[in-house]
Amino acid sequence: MSEAITLLAMFEDLEPASEGVEKLQQLGVDDDDMNIISGIPIKHTILGRPSAITYVSRIGMFGAILGMFLGIFFIYGIPYFYPLLVGGQAIYPVPQGIIITFEMTMLGLMGFAFIGLFVDSGFPSYTPKEYTPEVSDGKIALLFSCPVNEQEKFIDALKNVGAESVAPVEARHL
Amino acid sequence: MATYAKPAARPHRHEEEHEDLRQHLMHDPLPRGQMNAMVMESMHETSPIFWVITAVLAAIVVFALGYEWYVLIMQGQGMAGVTRPDYWGVFLVNTVFWIGISHAGTFISAILRVLKVESRRPFTRAAELMTTFGLVQAGLSIFMHLGRVWITYWMFPLPNQRTIWPDFHSPLMWDLMAITTYLLCSTMYLFLPLIPDMAMARDRTEGGWLKVFYRTLALGFRGTEGEWKNLVTAMNLFAFAIIPVMFSVHTIVSWDFAMATRPGWNSSVFGPYFVIGALHSGMAAVAIVLFLLRSTMKHYKYFIRPEHFNTIGMLMLLVSMAWAYFYFNDYIVPWYGGDVWDKLFQEYTEHGPKWYLWYTMLICNIAVPWLILWNRKWRETPWLLAIAGILINVGMYLERYIIIPVGVTITRMPFTWRQYEPRIEIPMTVGTFALFLLLYMLASRIIPLIPVWEVQEGQEAHLIRKIGKAEISTLSEME
Repeated sequence: MSEAITLLAMFEDLEPASEGVEKLQQLGVDDDDMNIISGIPIKHTILGRPSAITYVSRIGMFGAILGMFLGIFFIYGIPYFYPLLVGGQAIYPVPQGIIITFEMTMLGLMGFAFIGLFVDSGFPSYTPKEYTPEVSDGKIALLFSCPVNEQEKFIDALKNVGAESVAPVEARHL
Repeated sequence: MATYAKPAARPHRHEEEHEDLRQHLMHDPLPRGQMNAMVMESMHETSPIFWVITAVLAAIVVFALGYEWYVLIMQGQGMAGVTRPDYWGVFLVNTVFWIGISHAGTFISAILRVLKVESRRPFTRAAELMTTFGLVQAGLSIFMHLGRVWITYWMFPLPNQRTIWPDFHSPLMWDLMAITTYLLCSTMYLFLPLIPDMAMARDRTEGGWLKVFYRTLALGFRGTEGEWKNLVTAMNLFAFAIIPVMFSVHTIVSWDFAMATRPGWNSSVFGPYFVIGALHSGMAAVAIVLFLLRSTMKHYKYFIRPEHFNTIGMLMLLVSMAWAYFYFNDYIVPWYGGDVWDKLFQEYTEHGPKWYLWYTMLICNIAVPWLILWNRKWRETPWLLAIAGILINVGMYLERYIIIPVGVTITRMPFTWRQYEPRIEIPMTVGTFALFLLLYMLASRIIPLIPVWEVQEGQEAHLIRKIGKAEISTLSEME
């Protein structure tokens, strides 16, 4: 393959954007070589795209398990090392264990889901990226790579399906 | 015998129906760029009155909270009204009150998101912000109550110094764990949907410290498919997970009292009763906040409409009924049981020197919402809903006052009975209210309080569809 160039096609609405995706697929652009940038979340089926994979839930579940063990350590491990009898209660009580374990499990779940968002999305990232502020004003951007010597073909094809503009894009500081 | 449908007394007119649908924010869309501009303008165009009020609030915070707390630390807890048997006074009333206020923010946002209630969209952030700032006041109030704040570290696990670890068998430690979990999780939950709006603000800000601020908090967000997928997944996970945490927090706060075998406190219904009480005061606070935002912030009349006050008003009425149900449960069982100390406690609250607090509480928490909120037109009147909100919060504050300082007066040792009168607690309480308002006002200048992307998402999903002669609102699944 010859040298590749990154182009950014701007669409006013979802309908032409989905046609733009379809056109690129017909022209042989792999799904991994294109990306939709939008100001709102769009269901992948609307644009005819494969579903994005996310690990946030799995990372969150890992955190929940970690939190659960931490909670169990707090309620049962600490009295093991530093036994303290209170009000005739058992040293290793089950009811109190449920409370502390629940709180730590939920903290682990949400804390790690939050961290998972950062890890999976590569946040924070302040390096230059291909982007246009028009996206946050409601436009839909279709970012894709194609061979340099064929870019005219891609530009024409996307303009024919309703792209407002199709132009090479350079990474910029956000 | 033939049956027939009775015609409506007053026929509907098609134009009226059409007019009604356009009154809903979801059916009155504006271009996203225009909505962004409106929200940014509302943050950056500030009248001199705003800064005067900010300065007054800051002065109150410095004096009523800063200076008075300094006096309390230097002089000791003798400056407060607490003494035997009333060791738990207004500082703990404030703690419970502010935790209650903090509840509705997350509850409204999370439960309405889980249930996909569309009218939630413009006001979730304003409500979530209440949670964070409310918890700040609750945390400060606990430290005021502690007195010797400089030895707070005694509560930390430092075995080498004190040779013991914190006792996780104590309800106070459960409380610490629950409030810490709630504060951290609700702050993260506030931040998640803020990321796209921070990116929007970043794109529309030229230079200066605000640009750096927005750029930093936007984290490099662009709105790619992967970023949205991760964000929406995290938000859904939080919305489901934070609801049981919210319930646990106020249940555990109630156990701080209910685990003691004290008359008036030792009740098995205290958990749900406290949760509903928290929602009662919190919902009412949301109504007040929405009224203030709509009245003072430019363009907010477009985003926050009577339909949103109607939603809040219905929730307030529902919660008020639930509160009355739980209060009656908590009241009737000891009343019927006839235990001498329980009876003394009830007689003391109803006929004792503070009888007027009890009656005012019942009027504010039950009579006011039931009289005002049954009527849709009244619910849709922002100032009326705000007044109902203020009165409900007065009622809920009094409820906590009756439970804590009035409650601890009635011990099983009558020779210790004594009237509690707050002293330095009063200015410091005023200080917490001033700090809450001050933080909110400052946040309204730098944080987009309207989640514009969520509003646009809702507007994209709503359509007016004609079925027969009628125009019907329809909703599509966009996420």
